[in-house]
Amino acid sequence: MARPSRTFLKRRTFLRGVIAGGASVAVPLPRLASMLNDSGTAYADGKALPVRFGTWFFGNGIIPERWVPSSTGQGAAWTLSEQLAPLLAVKPWLNVVTGCTIKVPNNSPHASMPCAALTGAQTSGGGVTLPSVDQLVAKVNGTGAIFPTGLHVGISNTSGATALGLAISYAGPNAPNPPNYSPAGLFKNLVQFAATAGTPKPPDPELLNRKLVLDAVLADANALRARLGADDQQRLDQHLSGLSQLQQQIVAAEMPKATGTITDPDKAYPARGADGAISRQRSQAFADLLVFALASDLTRVFSFMFTCPACHGNYADCGLDATTFHEDYGHRLSPKGVTYATTGFNTGVRYAMSNLADLLGRMKATPDGAGTLLDNSCVYTTSCVSESQTHGGVDFPLLVAGKAGGKLRTDQHLRLLDENVSKVPYTLLTAMGSNATSFGMAEGQVSTGISGLLA
Amino acid sequence: MVVSYAKRAALILLAAFGSGACTGTVSGPRGGTSTGPSPSAGTTGASGGGTGAVSTTGGTGGSGSATGPSDLLGLPDGAEPLARLHKLTISELTNSLHDLLGTGAPVSAVEPDDVAAGFAAVGASTVAISPSGVGLYEDATGGATTFAFADATHAAAVLPCVPTGATDTACASRALAAFGRRAWRRPLTTAETTRFVNLAVAIAGAQGSSMLAGMRHAAWAILQSPSFLYRVELGAPSAADGGRLKYNDFEMASRLAGALWGSVPDDPLLDAAAAGKLSAAADVRAQATRMLADPRAHRALAAFVDDLYGRRELDEATKDMTMFPAWTTTLRDAMTEELERRIDDLVLTQKGDYLSLYESRATFVNNELAKYYGLPTQPIDSWRAATLPADSPRVGLLGAGAILAAYALPQRTSPTARGKFVNLALLCRTIPDPPPGVPPLPATSDASQTLRQKLEMHRAAASCASCHALMDPIGFGMETFDTAGQYRTQDNGHPIDATGMLGTSSFNGLAQLSSAIRAQPVAGPCLASKVYTFALGRAPTEHDAPALDALATSFSKNGNKVDALLTDLVSSDAFRFVTPDK
Repeated sequence: MARPSRTFLKRRTFLRGVIAGGASVAVPLPRLASMLNDSGTAYADGKALPVRFGTWFFGNGIIPERWVPSSTGQGAAWTLSEQLAPLLAVKPWLNVVTGCTIKVPNNSPHASMPCAALTGAQTSGGGVTLPSVDQLVAKVNGTGAIFPTGLHVGISNTSGATALGLAISYAGPNAPNPPNYSPAGLFKNLVQFAATAGTPKPPDPELLNRKLVLDAVLADANALRARLGADDQQRLDQHLSGLSQLQQQIVAAEMPKATGTITDPDKAYPARGADGAISRQRSQAFADLLVFALASDLTRVFSFMFTCPACHGNYADCGLDATTFHEDYGHRLSPKGVTYATTGFNTGVRYAMSNLADLLGRMKATPDGAGTLLDNSCVYTTSCVSESQTHGGVDFPLLVAGKAGGKLRTDQHLRLLDENVSKVPYTLLTAMGSNATSFGMAEGQVSTGISGLLA
Repeated sequence: MVVSYAKRAALILLAAFGSGACTGTVSGPRGGTSTGPSPSAGTTGASGGGTGAVSTTGGTGGSGSATGPSDLLGLPDGAEPLARLHKLTISELTNSLHDLLGTGAPVSAVEPDDVAAGFAAVGASTVAISPSGVGLYEDATGGATTFAFADATHAAAVLPCVPTGATDTACASRALAAFGRRAWRRPLTTAETTRFVNLAVAIAGAQGSSMLAGMRHAAWAILQSPSFLYRVELGAPSAADGGRLKYNDFEMASRLAGALWGSVPDDPLLDAAAAGKLSAAADVRAQATRMLADPRAHRALAAFVDDLYGRRELDEATKDMTMFPAWTTTLRDAMTEELERRIDDLVLTQKGDYLSLYESRATFVNNELAKYYGLPTQPIDSWRAATLPADSPRVGLLGAGAILAAYALPQRTSPTARGKFVNLALLCRTIPDPPPGVPPLPATSDASQTLRQKLEMHRAAASCASCHALMDPIGFGMETFDTAGQYRTQDNGHPIDATGMLGTSSFNGLAQLSSAIRAQPVAGPCLASKVYTFALGRAPTEHDAPALDALATSFSKNGNKVDALLTDLVSSDAFRFVTPDK
């Protein structure tokens, strides 16, 4: 401690190389103990810890009569339904909102409705018309994080035929954030920001090389942008955003490390199966990594696509036949009969909720400030249909977990008959600090939220 | 707590989904004349939502530039050109990296293709790369360049010269200019070449580094640049053509290499562009003829076949292993290769009538597939030509395992999915999405009926009948093949009824259905429009009708030969001029 180590000096030299001239911006850092006040409840300067936001999505809907809790109210007044039972451990953090309806016309089953629930607007040619709520939140709270537009993960990479594509997060039309299906890949991205045991390694000279390479790439991207029409400029802006984030990550990789524990999926979940197949272990591996990233403030936003709208993958992981969950169970077309299919479908929905519970449970178990990560987060959960057999948009599945840093009332079942589904994401958007005066478009547009959700 | 850090990119604060940009109407034709973007046939919504706010007088949303795209491109009154950045599809990226860096270059996973109008090539014209996707491109091009620059010998296969050291800037400049010209499909400007040479020298100068490492990083920068990852084809007003927006010679080289090779141009094509030899239709035709004789043409054709006939669907298809124990992933992949080889042979070797594919018994097999099809196996396994017996019920395109298994479910067939495929891919019909609130299939006693009988009950509901009437009867003609593509005579213990109607033609079974499809007047024009969509990377609009009619006519006159169709297409105005151009 007496004098700076050689490693420290090398790092300083490195940073001098990376940081050169021009306007200055803040380099994002993981949250470090030294940044917080003595009790660790807020930043040393008194600023509150950021509230995190996530979207958790499962395809193929529910059976409303087995999903909707039998009574409404708060706390002891209501109990979980059959399909929500796996969420028991996080019930005190849960809001179940039922009775809401998709007001956007159902032009395209499995596309119109998830678009409405995620963006408040109709689908456009198989994609979205407006950004998804997580990306609106990222504009409010993401700046300053190492991954400012969020981390986006997925379990099943099997598509849903003509449904909305394989993404539930969109920066805008034609700008999906396709999920990362590989826990090992996400681990590789995150571990560079995690503290490792033993002597700190000297700076990697390749980081500086990568930075120089990206400078040259940015020069080309900027020159090209000036020559393009508006649509293509928007596309290139997405690309520029990615280049700029990569640059920031290169610098951040040489900054002080996050002190939380990162879990290597290859060690903790060696039997998690191939990326893209449905597996609860892979879901748990992602949950561990997301919790690390959220707790360390590497990102404040995430999307978790358990299965995509109308996913045609199979739920063999929970004991169902290795057939198309969407057709054989969702639409009850199993050759083994309708009763068999209905029972299996119910098992599948409960299995999805168990996967959600794995994530929420980990958030609940992670200290954050004066409370837990789940206290300081808001996780919005929805699907692509309500009743899976008929592509229904009535009584749409909507869950909100977490207290959003005290902004949300929890442990409630709110039954809001025929309310516009858009009101839920809009309420959450404003709870996250957005001053948006409305959310969505046309039939999906709302300008008031759900007061019962707010603390 | 924070560190100041300079970075030009930070100044480019992004309004990728700015407030005003998404308020236009979403779909449907716009009223008035040329006040909005040309509707792109409702296929991708490419320019629908995002550009409604653009006007001739206003800015373009965040650029701060005084020049709107209409001015820049010489379009009248606010008309918005179709998107000009074609993001390389995964197959195009892979082919391009292999052509530039050697076929051994590894290409790690990038973001999945975005499919629109049935083709990744169409989605590529509208989709953006996500922020995390940019990192995947860094990894993929990083791995590929590491392979190609592993040592001087490797590098010599990639570059015209390999600099001996950081002072050998003459060679570095020549090498990077040549490499950059192929990767960016146009000559680099002097400033651009200098930028990459300086990058190479800077990296070579670090302790423990080398000029080879510097060159590798310069190549890495070239390949991470949007000028490589997107084909940039903007067009410019051509005085000789009445001011129409015409692709310049290098843009034509880019388009030709994209459409015919699924890759970057070679030096002869770029030399032709430099010599002004890609402006006239006859010159383009000559290059296209040369390019179709090149092995690289096989890859683009395979990408077309994969998209049109549903490789994605097949790759996602699972079969119940207890019911279909012979189904394996190697069999599935063999089915894909069978179809690619059949069509490749027909189009590029036999140069035959494409529609003969629908009834042909000529195919290609390896041992696993031969066994599956009941054909003889060989002592030493290899891909070879084979002919299905004259009395085999398996015939033509629809008899291919790849088609039968792709459009079916794990435990049973789907006449609806198979019929939908025929409608969309072979007959160019559109099938509306199912209406909301579709009643479930009636709960019948499962053992008593064939699937056909169940679906016919479903069709008894008026809300279902109109669409299913287009799909199911065609699919019934394929019911003699189970979901794994094997011949059968019974479904659920009952004899299969494979009769049906297509237009005014009645059929009984797959062979007659195939002949009926081939005999449809729309069969040839439909195939021509698919090739057109793939090659242009966008769904046709009303602007394209005359071009499509002309191509369909010449396709028919030429005996439905796809090589001739491609040559006609790429030398036509539709491929050489920007659409809409007025």
